[in-house]
Amino acid sequence: MNSERIIGFCRYLRANGFTAGLSESIASLEAVRAASPSDLDELRAVLQPAICKSKEEWEKFDDLFHQYWNTHEKPRAKKTRRPPVVGGISAAGLMSLTGLRNASSESSEESKTTTGASLQARLKQVDFSQVPVDQQHLLDALAERLLAQASRRISRRFKVGQKRGRIDLRRTMRASIGCGGYHGKLKYKTRAPKPPPVVILLDVSGSMSLYSFFLLRFAHSLRKAFKRADTFIFSTELADIRGALRLRVLPEALRALSEKATGWASGTKIGLSLSEFNRHHSRLLARNTIFLILSDGWDTGEPEELTRELRAIKEKVRAIIWLNPLLGMPDYSPETRGMKASLPYIDVFAPAHSLESLLDLERVFLRIAR
Amino acid sequence: MADEIADISSVDALVAAFEKSSYVLDRALATTVFLQLKLGKPLLIEGHAGVGKTDVAKVLSSILGTELIRLQCYEGLDVNSAVYEWNYQKQLLAINMHRESAADADQQQKRIFGPDFLEERPLLRAVRAQQRAPVLLIDEVDRADEEFEAFLLELLSDFQITIPEMGTIKAAHRPFVILTSNRTRELSDALKRRCLYHWIDYPSLEKESKIVRIKLPGIEEELAQQVVRFVHSLRASRLTKSPGVAETLDCIQSLQALGKNHLDEEAAEQVLGTVVKSADDFARLKSEGMSQLL
Repeated sequence: MNSERIIGFCRYLRANGFTAGLSESIASLEAVRAASPSDLDELRAVLQPAICKSKEEWEKFDDLFHQYWNTHEKPRAKKTRRPPVVGGISAAGLMSLTGLRNASSESSEESKTTTGASLQARLKQVDFSQVPVDQQHLLDALAERLLAQASRRISRRFKVGQKRGRIDLRRTMRASIGCGGYHGKLKYKTRAPKPPPVVILLDVSGSMSLYSFFLLRFAHSLRKAFKRADTFIFSTELADIRGALRLRVLPEALRALSEKATGWASGTKIGLSLSEFNRHHSRLLARNTIFLILSDGWDTGEPEELTRELRAIKEKVRAIIWLNPLLGMPDYSPETRGMKASLPYIDVFAPAHSLESLLDLERVFLRIAR
Repeated sequence: MADEIADISSVDALVAAFEKSSYVLDRALATTVFLQLKLGKPLLIEGHAGVGKTDVAKVLSSILGTELIRLQCYEGLDVNSAVYEWNYQKQLLAINMHRESAADADQQQKRIFGPDFLEERPLLRAVRAQQRAPVLLIDEVDRADEEFEAFLLELLSDFQITIPEMGTIKAAHRPFVILTSNRTRELSDALKRRCLYHWIDYPSLEKESKIVRIKLPGIEEELAQQVVRFVHSLRASRLTKSPGVAETLDCIQSLQALGKNHLDEEAAEQVLGTVVKSADDFARLKSEGMSQLL
């Protein structure tokens, strides 16, 4: 078998989203040499275990193999399942999805430094939906700074173990050698508490549009505090934005997305989105996971589905936190069908309408994470 | 079984050898196992619960006539229970016994951190195997912490283990490492890069019937077919917990124990607990009725 052809195949797979790198190229050449396949079917069986690294790749492999080696077998008809839902959405994709907005935000830079203390204090408390247009950039800058601080504080707490654990015989022994075998000082095992993984589902439907951007900023900042923070957005369906949020600076495209989220959202199907999540991403849930839902609870789906999916999540995770911007309104009570049905499964139900309410969550996180 | 080593010189020979040990190995997996034997690389098998991931290792060790060393992973698994541990009691006694002797601390340390005081755990045992290469099964590696995966890296790429007090121990015979995972979480790229990969899906109707025939010889063909079809339609109906092959076998055996030779709705209800393992699914099937699944 021609080795250049095989390396070319690896490159072809890489172009199609496989992780196949140099080591997979080498592995596939080794595999072909070891098994010396005599026909294409055998070649496929040899290359597949050497190159694939996950179930997703494993399932995509057949089609790509046939395309590349140009076999007679027709590639299977493309399944049109879950169109934009799974897989990282590229920033460019989001831009075209939402039509990148060119708001007059250029002037924000220069006036940033002139914020007075009283204005800051006021901005912290104001409802996101009530911020005057000319002060939005101020709030944005303040949010970025304060949320980053809070994240740093949370992550620092995880670095120091405070409790005395079991006696660590190993280190006790080691220490005693220096004293000629006298066990004067007992050493203890302390395990620094680890930050738990966080999964965030952010509602970007029309009713949330005034809040989405700040909540997205919040989700982005949590990434620094916790070991893992996987964020998804949903309205009538679920979209994976983990790739975009992994960047250090919140991509412009996402800002556009959250500002104009109404464009692709009519109605909210929380239950359906959760079931989508459970079907495709439930392995992100571990026993110590904190599951965070940011939504106003306006659900046009079936409450039964919502409760069923919430129960399934509840069984797997440490806690479900539901942040609802409407809780900031003095006369709000969770009367919507979806919200009412969800309450029994929620561990913490808190407001998320202002910067201050988001900052207050620092304590909630620390309490749960311990 | 293990007296003579089976012929493993080709993919077909492997299929035959596995079938002799009542394991139905399809050609794709046979090729992967063949590559593993040839290349000496670890093999990572992923798949749903109950599709026979662990059995691959068991059967492989019996075919090779070699020892199976198994490490069951769990949350909180650490080096002390996976690789090695010092025998502290013995060390303490030794220190006390030699307290008066003239030996200086340096020598003392060398002695009590020597092989006499070392307790082997599965991974170290696999590396130190003297006779022939063992099969090392690292089961459900996705349950272990990510930190533990990092320990595995040295073992999986160089087949050696470093003990700070003693130095590095290199495997005399490269163990055949099989890792299994249920995909409850994503494994690290570094780990996956070192392994061959195989995804075991639920078997096709024909394959599952064959498995039933081999595992439960003398079963009535019609009953077996019915149960296999029943389980397949259960899998298609998107339960929260889909039944695996192990459940199919359980179900047939239960029917046999109840003296049934035909799977009707009543019988299915009686043995439903063998294939449906979640209260939600149970309630759903009970209320919807199972006539269309049979």
